[in-house]
Amino acid sequence: MSRRIWDIPGGIHPAENKQQSLQTHIITAHIPAELVVPVQQHIGAPGKPCVEVGDKVLKGQMIAEANGFVSLPTHAPTSGEIIAIESRPVQHPSQIDGLCIIIKADNLDQWIDHNAINEYQSKERSDIINTIRQAGISGMGGAGFPSTIKLGIRPDTKIEQLILNSAECEPYITADDSLIQERADEVVAGLKIMQWLVKPQETLIGIEDNKPNAIAALKQATADSDIEVVVVPTKYPSGGEKQIIYLLTGKEVASGGLPSDVGVICQNTGTAYAVNRAIHFGEPLISRITTVTGDAIKNKGNYEVLLGTPVDALLSQAGAKFDQTSRLIMGGPMMGFSIHNSAVPIVKVTNCLLAPTEKEIPEPDAEQPCIRCGNCTQVCPAGLLPQQLYWFSKSNELEKAKHFNLADCIECGACSFVCPSNIPLVQYFRFGKGQIRKQEAETAKADQARERFEFRQARLEKEDREKEEKRKARAEAAAKKQAAKKAAAAENPATSESGPTIPTGSESTADASAVTKLKATWSSTTKRWKDAEKALKVAEKNGNEHIDALKKKVEQLKVKADKAKSLYDEAKVADAANISNVNGPTATKQTNKQAATQPTNDPMQKLKQASTDDFNAWKAAQQKTQDAEANSSDGADIESLRKTEAEAKEKSAASKAAMKEARAKEKEAMQAKKSAEDPAKQLKLDAAITRTKAKKALKALDSLTEDHASYDALKTAYEKAQTAAESAELALKAAEEA
Amino acid sequence: MSVLHVTSPHVHRPFTMNALMRHVVYATIPGLIVLTALFGWGTLINVIFASCVAIAAEAVVLKLRKRPILFSIKDGSAVLTAVLLALAIPPTAPWWLTIIGIIFAIVIAKQLYGGLGSNPFNPAMIGYVLLLISFPLEMTTWIPAYTTEGVTSIPTLTQSFEMIFGSVDRSIIDGITMATPLDTFKTYAGNDLAKLQSASVLQGNIAGAGWEWVNVAFLMGGIYLIARKIITWHIPVAMLAGVFLFAGIFHIIDPDTYASPIFHLLSGGTMLGAFFIATDPVTAATSNKGKLIYGALIGVLIYVIRAWGGYPDAVAFAVLLINLCAPTIEYYTQPRAYGHKKANSGIAK
Amino acid sequence: MSAADNKKIIKDGLWNNNPVLVQVLGLCPLLAVSGSVVNSLALGLATAFVITTSNIAVSLIRNYTTDTVRLPVFVMIIASFTTCIEFLMNAFTYELYLVLGIFIPLIVTNCAVLGRADAFASKNGVAASALDGLMTGLGFTAVIVTLGALREVLGQATLFDNMHLLFGDIAQGWTIHLVDDYKGFLFAILPPGAFVIMGFLLALKNIIDSKLKARAAALMEKPATGSRRVRTTGNIS
Repeated sequence: MSRRIWDIPGGIHPAENKQQSLQTHIITAHIPAELVVPVQQHIGAPGKPCVEVGDKVLKGQMIAEANGFVSLPTHAPTSGEIIAIESRPVQHPSQIDGLCIIIKADNLDQWIDHNAINEYQSKERSDIINTIRQAGISGMGGAGFPSTIKLGIRPDTKIEQLILNSAECEPYITADDSLIQERADEVVAGLKIMQWLVKPQETLIGIEDNKPNAIAALKQATADSDIEVVVVPTKYPSGGEKQIIYLLTGKEVASGGLPSDVGVICQNTGTAYAVNRAIHFGEPLISRITTVTGDAIKNKGNYEVLLGTPVDALLSQAGAKFDQTSRLIMGGPMMGFSIHNSAVPIVKVTNCLLAPTEKEIPEPDAEQPCIRCGNCTQVCPAGLLPQQLYWFSKSNELEKAKHFNLADCIECGACSFVCPSNIPLVQYFRFGKGQIRKQEAETAKADQARERFEFRQARLEKEDREKEEKRKARAEAAAKKQAAKKAAAAENPATSESGPTIPTGSESTADASAVTKLKATWSSTTKRWKDAEKALKVAEKNGNEHIDALKKKVEQLKVKADKAKSLYDEAKVADAANISNVNGPTATKQTNKQAATQPTNDPMQKLKQASTDDFNAWKAAQQKTQDAEANSSDGADIESLRKTEAEAKEKSAASKAAMKEARAKEKEAMQAKKSAEDPAKQLKLDAAITRTKAKKALKALDSLTEDHASYDALKTAYEKAQTAAESAELALKAAEEA
Repeated sequence: MSVLHVTSPHVHRPFTMNALMRHVVYATIPGLIVLTALFGWGTLINVIFASCVAIAAEAVVLKLRKRPILFSIKDGSAVLTAVLLALAIPPTAPWWLTIIGIIFAIVIAKQLYGGLGSNPFNPAMIGYVLLLISFPLEMTTWIPAYTTEGVTSIPTLTQSFEMIFGSVDRSIIDGITMATPLDTFKTYAGNDLAKLQSASVLQGNIAGAGWEWVNVAFLMGGIYLIARKIITWHIPVAMLAGVFLFAGIFHIIDPDTYASPIFHLLSGGTMLGAFFIATDPVTAATSNKGKLIYGALIGVLIYVIRAWGGYPDAVAFAVLLINLCAPTIEYYTQPRAYGHKKANSGIAK
Repeated sequence: MSAADNKKIIKDGLWNNNPVLVQVLGLCPLLAVSGSVVNSLALGLATAFVITTSNIAVSLIRNYTTDTVRLPVFVMIIASFTTCIEFLMNAFTYELYLVLGIFIPLIVTNCAVLGRADAFASKNGVAASALDGLMTGLGFTAVIVTLGALREVLGQATLFDNMHLLFGDIAQGWTIHLVDDYKGFLFAILPPGAFVIMGFLLALKNIIDSKLKARAAALMEKPATGSRRVRTTGNIS
């Protein structure tokens, strides 16, 4: 063959151990008594169960439907009865359970009606893709990416090479090898369907040179087609997607990119076979070839096994000596996961079950210090410096790890394999990658929060500006009015009555502001209560351990909200009475103004407004006094004016304090939102905030005389803050104890 | 059923650190044999004695640092350090010289920095340099090699023992010692051509009496290491090329003052340095490009110090100085990763 | 100024805030001249003199210098006192003056001196500053003499060699020869040796401190159990 083979850098040659499982033909596995079919056997969203407990299902019947674009349906592997839909242990790196549909097999193995598509070439491309998708076909080698997403690329995408990955470079595994040896025609037929779908310039099958029988079978099967069988030297990990693409085409998939970006599509051998079954036989993906091997297995070989078959059922059939196994590995010895529970089911990506004896794969030796021997660098197929990445991952220097391209690690395990110090490098890299992902997610979240905050800031500023302009306009009008009145007063000093009107107005403003403040308190407390309730719900759903503390908090907040509401109602009534007592147009104007500002519906805004108004009133009073002093009207008048001024000043200060408090409260409300994430931290914060608030309220209270209008409101606020502080501290203690 | 939960990969190459260190020690055997044959039993005694001292020193420090003692000693790194240091010092070196050098190498240069894998400098060379600058007399006088003109015998086993452990008057030893070829060359080159040509120590075939055989032996050991894939060819080749190139240029310019490149390659500690010292992975660069730069810099520096510096040999100084550069070299010689158009370099921003 | 303050100043200068062991200041003369006890003692005392006197002077003028020019002023003061001590040594201990050479005038640039002037003397009264200067100086002297002694013992196996350079003929016989026929350990005499020994001194200090801390913590533990923070809520009306 004249095709050039590009050599991948690095790579290792572990003992192959493939012969053990190639001694027999493919063995059909028994139908187990009970099948556990996870609704997620692929990358992407889990499927949605579409059957009920108690339903009778037939073989090949859809039992879970795709739930989104990157999702796949699941089918009943045999006929029987659904006896449960519940969480069961599944193969997962974090040992978490997954939703499974449990089928009690009736041993009739009765097929649902299914139709083959003859002459697929005459059908629409999208129809064929949809058929493959409905058959639930995902990549059957590595991660289990839904195959149709690769195949369903936009028709204008130019695909130069379609590659069937038959390298199968991991030791022990012979699932693809045996499949090709025995069913090469069907594999090639599946490949031809994919060829028709993506219309590549050339179609290649990459296979390692340690599988002579499979190579011969493929060559025979592809003799009359334009498909080329490319034999590559045996070296781990030449079967990695990026590696086989480079081996066969010399193209590198850009970091973070997809193979289709460089005009390549790579599919797994098992996938091609499944596509063929789906199109030419109408069968969905309900079984696969799995290698069962390792010295603890009596009948080593390749089993055609129904998806959902529990691992122990398959191992029993293969005659596993359970007392001899040191560990159970799902997948190959290089990249497979050791499984924690032998009840986990076989899924679409399970290409191998390895049950080695202690002698075969001994326990790893203790980790020794890295001596930077560089063996890992020599074998890394991605051209990384694992010994540097190890330091960075270990010391959490994520920026440096990123700079040294940790993200491009394919976790093939070659570095760990050769490490003389027995350092589990891959584990460090997984940890480092996880940390980087976490950090990036946090950064994204922080960015969002900042944007929101900046937007809000801008909005507030804009509103402030508008208010300021309005106020200026009003002040000008008032000044004009004042001037006119002054002119009138000059004409007739005896009837000058303008002094007292302003304090009246100011007082009513203060009253109004107190009411508004109370309303703000009420709404913010209510909001906090609602938030806390929401947080509680989330926590309950997630099984959070601080539920009790949260519950307590919600109750407290509810009480507070109720109290705030009653206070507000009272105050409103009182205010109304107050307003009706104050005669004159000023009060009406104030009410109007209140009404005008009401629609903004932002308590902060209102408080600010009230504070600004108070301030203005004070300034106006001051102005008044000065004017009067300058004009040297009679002494009594000045005296009263001064008093008015002092009062107005006090009020202004009080409303400012109220506003500050409200601001603190608002901040607290924002904090409350976070409570679901970190209750203890949040509670601590809460406690601190409320404590500060209480102090502030006390300060504000001290600065006021008792007869002042907002005194009572502030006192209530102070008491509330005190209660809040206490409850927050209680909650914190509870959380800390929890 | 007991199910062990470990992460992939599950299989490992059965090649441990202990094996790695052991093979390096094996590779020094040809050099050790030649040294013993030419200079008597001194070197062999030193190697054994130094190894014992090193293990003891390592055990004491590990105990003080509250680390598992046996686990760390089993890796064999202390013994390797001891062997390399013992090979570098003269066969007549008294026992306390070895003790001081080893303790300094193990305790200060290695364990105080955090133990194996954390030391920025080659411990054996730190020990060597300490001895060289503190006790220049003991460290630069060698007994003449067996093949030197006029030398008819080498010290017997008892004599060697007495020289190292005995309380013999040092002046007796001093009476039979002789400067090394490099030292002799440094003394006479460029100013006393007649003496240079008549010095008996320089009457060897290529690079002074006996020394070429020592270097050839270490070269063989080095080739064994490369064949066993314990070291790669990059550092030794780059280093020897650096020495050769510089020595060649200056020898062409002025052959009377500057020795021939072959002389430089086969005298002193050149080969020992190239294959055993500079390739110490802990203190060297690791990427292939980095190793080439690292090795070449050492080579050049060796020549510079030999030709114009104050000391006749320079392997230890050169290695230590370039050890200091290794992290920086590492940052700027990252290989290009798969899927990237060009290699990253420098440090993360 | 109370006795407690004085105690604290003394403790700080000698131990807790030792210019060498804690602040790691003034290493250049420290490492350069600490080859023997006599050199160390001479430089240590000279430095102590300069620190004390400059501290007093700086404290006296502290209210008359503005912030912007204070550093040049302090350096001038320090330089003056350094010149004094240089002349004194030139007059009375001429051989030692020759041995110490440039490191006497270089006391001016010793950060420990300027550091005390700026950090303490410019903020405190004369008496306190004088005490602080003296204690800091003695702390410096203590460390440099220890270092010198260690280096002298390791380097040439003697102690108090050449003390007559500092104390006159009285000290002629003070030299103690620890080992006969000592080869000399050049490394200890050279600056790298000073660095390594200095490192061990730092480590020793840290070990002692952590031991003391552990003991203090053990003592503190018992009464600590009973005390709990009590929070009182105000009752205002």
